[in-house]
Amino acid sequence: MEAEEILEELAERGEFIVIGRGVRRFDALDKALGRAKFTADYVERDALVVKVVRSSLPHALIKGINIDEALKIPGVVAVLTAGDIPGENQIGYALPDQPFLNDVKVHYVGDPIALVCAENEEAAFKGVEAVEIDYEELQAVYTIDEALSEDAPRIHGGEDNIAVTTRVRKGDIEEGFSKAEAIVEDTYETPYQEHMYIEPEAAYAIPEGHDKVTVIGTMQSPFLVREKVAGILGWNLNQVRVIQALTGGAFGGKDDMGPLVCAKAALAAVKLGRPAALILDRDESAAYSVKRYPARIRYRSGADAEGRMTAAEVDITVDCGAYANRAPFWLWRMTAHAAGPYEVEAVHVDGRAVYTNKVFGGSFRGFGDVAMHFAVESQMDMLAEKLGLDPLEFRLRNVLRPGSRTTTNQLLDHSVGIEECLRGVAEASDWWNRRGEVKRIEGKLRGLGVACAHHGISTSRGAPDWSAASLILNEDGTFTYRTGICELGQGSQFGHAKIVAEILGAPLESIRVEGPDTDSTPNARPTHGSRGLMLGGSAAADAALRLRGRMVKVASEMLGCDEGDVELKDGRAYDRRRPENSVSFRELAREMYIRGVSPAAYGFYAPPRRYFDPETGLGVAYPVYTFAATVAEVEVNPETGEVKVVEVWPSMDVGRAIDPLLIEGQIHGAIAQGLGFALTENLIVEEGRVLNPNFKDYVIPSSMDMPRVSDVIIVEKPYRHSAFGAKGVGEPAIISIVSAIANAVYHATGIRFRTLPITAERLYRALRGEKP
Amino acid sequence: MMLRFKLNGEWIECEAEHNETLLDLLREKLGVKSVKRGCNVGECGACTVLLDGRPVNSCLLLAPLVEGRSVETLEGLRDKPIMRELIEAFVEDGAIQCGFCTPGMLISAYSLLSRNPKPSEGEVRRAIAGNLCRCTGYVNIVKAILDAAERLRGED
Amino acid sequence: MRPLPRFRVHRPESLEKALELLATLEKAKPIAGGTDLIPLMREVEVDVKHLIDLSHIGELNFIREEEGYIRIGATTTLSDLVASELIASKAPALWEAAASMGSPQIRNRGTIGGNLCNASPAADLGPPLLALEAEAEIRSLDERRWIPIGEVFAGPKVNSLAEDELLTEVRFKTPPQGAGSAFEKIGRRRAVTLALVNAAAYIEVEDETCRVARLALGAVADRPLRMGEAEERLMGKELSEELIEEVSALCGRLVRPIDDVRASAWYRREMSRVLSRRALLKAWRRCAT
Repeated sequence: MEAEEILEELAERGEFIVIGRGVRRFDALDKALGRAKFTADYVERDALVVKVVRSSLPHALIKGINIDEALKIPGVVAVLTAGDIPGENQIGYALPDQPFLNDVKVHYVGDPIALVCAENEEAAFKGVEAVEIDYEELQAVYTIDEALSEDAPRIHGGEDNIAVTTRVRKGDIEEGFSKAEAIVEDTYETPYQEHMYIEPEAAYAIPEGHDKVTVIGTMQSPFLVREKVAGILGWNLNQVRVIQALTGGAFGGKDDMGPLVCAKAALAAVKLGRPAALILDRDESAAYSVKRYPARIRYRSGADAEGRMTAAEVDITVDCGAYANRAPFWLWRMTAHAAGPYEVEAVHVDGRAVYTNKVFGGSFRGFGDVAMHFAVESQMDMLAEKLGLDPLEFRLRNVLRPGSRTTTNQLLDHSVGIEECLRGVAEASDWWNRRGEVKRIEGKLRGLGVACAHHGISTSRGAPDWSAASLILNEDGTFTYRTGICELGQGSQFGHAKIVAEILGAPLESIRVEGPDTDSTPNARPTHGSRGLMLGGSAAADAALRLRGRMVKVASEMLGCDEGDVELKDGRAYDRRRPENSVSFRELAREMYIRGVSPAAYGFYAPPRRYFDPETGLGVAYPVYTFAATVAEVEVNPETGEVKVVEVWPSMDVGRAIDPLLIEGQIHGAIAQGLGFALTENLIVEEGRVLNPNFKDYVIPSSMDMPRVSDVIIVEKPYRHSAFGAKGVGEPAIISIVSAIANAVYHATGIRFRTLPITAERLYRALRGEKP
Repeated sequence: MMLRFKLNGEWIECEAEHNETLLDLLREKLGVKSVKRGCNVGECGACTVLLDGRPVNSCLLLAPLVEGRSVETLEGLRDKPIMRELIEAFVEDGAIQCGFCTPGMLISAYSLLSRNPKPSEGEVRRAIAGNLCRCTGYVNIVKAILDAAERLRGED
Repeated sequence: MRPLPRFRVHRPESLEKALELLATLEKAKPIAGGTDLIPLMREVEVDVKHLIDLSHIGELNFIREEEGYIRIGATTTLSDLVASELIASKAPALWEAAASMGSPQIRNRGTIGGNLCNASPAADLGPPLLALEAEAEIRSLDERRWIPIGEVFAGPKVNSLAEDELLTEVRFKTPPQGAGSAFEKIGRRRAVTLALVNAAAYIEVEDETCRVARLALGAVADRPLRMGEAEERLMGKELSEELIEEVSALCGRLVRPIDDVRASAWYRREMSRVLSRRALLKAWRRCAT
């Protein structure tokens, strides 16, 4: 309680030391000097090379695995199969539907069957080719409709191919539609998206003695990795040490892939008693790693004559692919955000996630909300048009405000800044003057589109979430801060350091962050759900506040003043009344050590628990939401169908901007990823095979494709229960850009796309009358 | 085979396989780890090095082909004035997120500013078009290169 | 992704020596920039025991104008082409094609000979060199012959050279004053992109009449194609936007594209029309200047 008061006092100072300023992040220099170490940089030359033998069929029974020929290849040391797993052959995330190495049945092209461990790449490659799998092919299921058909083969047994279902029943839907002046209904489909982080997944495992293993890898959840590795090895958690190496882009994908690659390297290292490395090739990563889940959304919504939303009826089907993985969470997120950032009295949602024999989906920035908002924001545009209203004006009439209730009837009493976001981008883009007629410039069509977004931070449905961190004041007055939150490029750890610096009045450079190492770092839980800064940073604040209390107490005795008069600033403790009277943190630290006052603090944070009823889908779905709005201007070349995004105006309610430069970075990157998803990224899967697993044919934006990006409009509506009021940023950033582009294409051409991406060819066809 | 080439300004001799790429040689045998493997087929630019002063993908270059030639990586370039200014600008402008594409990106930027001290924004974008980045959207990278160029001109 | 095959690399310093190695060694292949060959060997099994590196052969690296021809050595890189004033002023179609290719890193290694011998139907240098009626010099130890550039292409990713032969030079007649040429391409992003369709046009106009018109398209058949029928309809006529439009529509029908992960055959036909028109118009406009 006392701690909260201090934090509040700090937050109310208005003038911060480091919060709110763009400060050079301390990891940047090593990265710029080429000194930063990624997983592959740790691998010693004598390490075993691990390669995965994968299923070549989408759905088949395994009748036999013959490794004899593989073992004859010079350099091949071992071929590990399911029988070599000491622990449990199971690595499913939400459901126990995913064998670690398949020995009974394969469920998609790429499903792992065996691990070839060899002295070098060449031997490993030949070993993989030499392993013979005897299959009995089964009928495969490729589409949602096939999966749901009565006579579809059951991919994981059971009664049907449905992995999970969800529902929301809020208000009287019939009455809602009866009040509507305009009703629109449509079906939206969104495809896979591949993460295409520039660093492929990697893991390096080193056996330590006979009963311990260290795993260095690409990941987002070191403690999840530890749990899964221990499970495969049949070991206790404290026998597995997991170190997150700097990770070269993650975007959710490495949250899911971390355990999978780390457990493979660990199994090889432990079984063979030698360091072992598994580094995925680009084509493996692109074809067989998790992807953004494809989804199909049927959406019917209505608004009354005043332009107020009255009802939304939403039916969601998520295509899991071979395994459920994160599908329950993904689906719940879509379900809980189904009405968009708008107040809608009556909302009915039904959702299901179905299995198919394709590469399985998983975490990806925006986590379901990209697809959901694509549907919502298309509907909003269509309703506005039907009512004869400007689409931005129509949104302004409906956006959530303090006191509004969400899709799940969650009351939002504060930290709701979507209206400010929307007004901000309207002004910045000169919307009211420019959105009128479509401009033609040299035969090209210019259009302006708007879209909003909201994204719940942390885990869903009131499931417990918490985070921890530790902070030590060293004898020389410097600090060692430890967090399990991973550095993936987003800079959360740096944000934590700023929070600590602000609370302790410590120079930023006196704080050293030690990244995740499960042997010494407190469990901060995953770096996902845009929780790294909000949850992790709040645990940092808790640790800093605890240490601060002790520092202030000892300082007051050293300075001979009241605790209330002690001010911590610039690495010194001052007597506020006599500022010439001060001690340095070095002197203070020594005194604390001598007096036996603990110089270390363990910080813990949990957002307030709330109630959620999974039967009705009502209650508090997420502790708080981040809001965003985006305007995009596109130029369509009707001669080729090419869309060029000319300019983007982004805005976001971030709660509190801990570091504007980090926020800007997240938003810029998300614009690129969203632009790719909207226009060019097109994973082609035929009969379960990914045909374009490379940068050549899976087209992500280059420097030449980026639009002008207007200054990011940062709205600050602080969240009461996090450090300084900060909310998550990374995921919300990608949601509105996708729909803003699609809506701008509509404005330019009159063609509404219900599926993505809007490739040049698809737009060209649509311009010639084909159904888009 | 024995290979002799100039690495970061110094002639070195080392053992190389005929079917080894420069990328593998640098990373695995010579400990030059700033050069990153992103795709191994010349599509991402993370392994960019300078060959006789020009940026090339080291994953597409067979090691034997660098015999007698000059190869430069970030390790050798980081103390050069242009690169120092670029590094400073990248750090300052938020051009670095995960950092995996950064060394290759810097090499391309260095090559540009070495030839063209006053590039336009379009020229900057074109110069780094072969270096894919999935984190930053390139916005602050382009800004940093332009900033570095400006500062370098200011010093003249 | 495959490990590279176990080949030996040879680094001859003369053309003679290179031809000798090609003629004597078993399963030998030339390598220039390697920007196509290395990715190919990573993707599919390539049966090769020896690679003959051409980069030390000075006599293969040149761009010069001589006796009415523009002559380009086989190992001239795409960057060299882009840096050449001669190419930029006399053969803008070739210049534009080279500038459109790959990334700076690829252009610094990729060569004109490599682009042709890789024989990709989408090879960006194919259409401009066809439109310029270029010829390729093919040499072996005992023979030296010139073939029309189109004959280098034997099928998708298959060239017509015998195992002991090298493409050593590309030449075309220096376009006369008043000739115009242009290259157009559509890809899937603004840089580092394979052509869905590419096109090049070459036009000479005299007294308002089109004396010579050549048009070639790429990525629309198993190899880059000249649009002979279309060219005939232009020659001897007074050019107009209408005529070019009509001829371009014909090109859309002449091509024989396929569906693949990059685009459908239908879209490629449509873009053949669009790019033919753009290339012809641009080449025509350049005639005056």
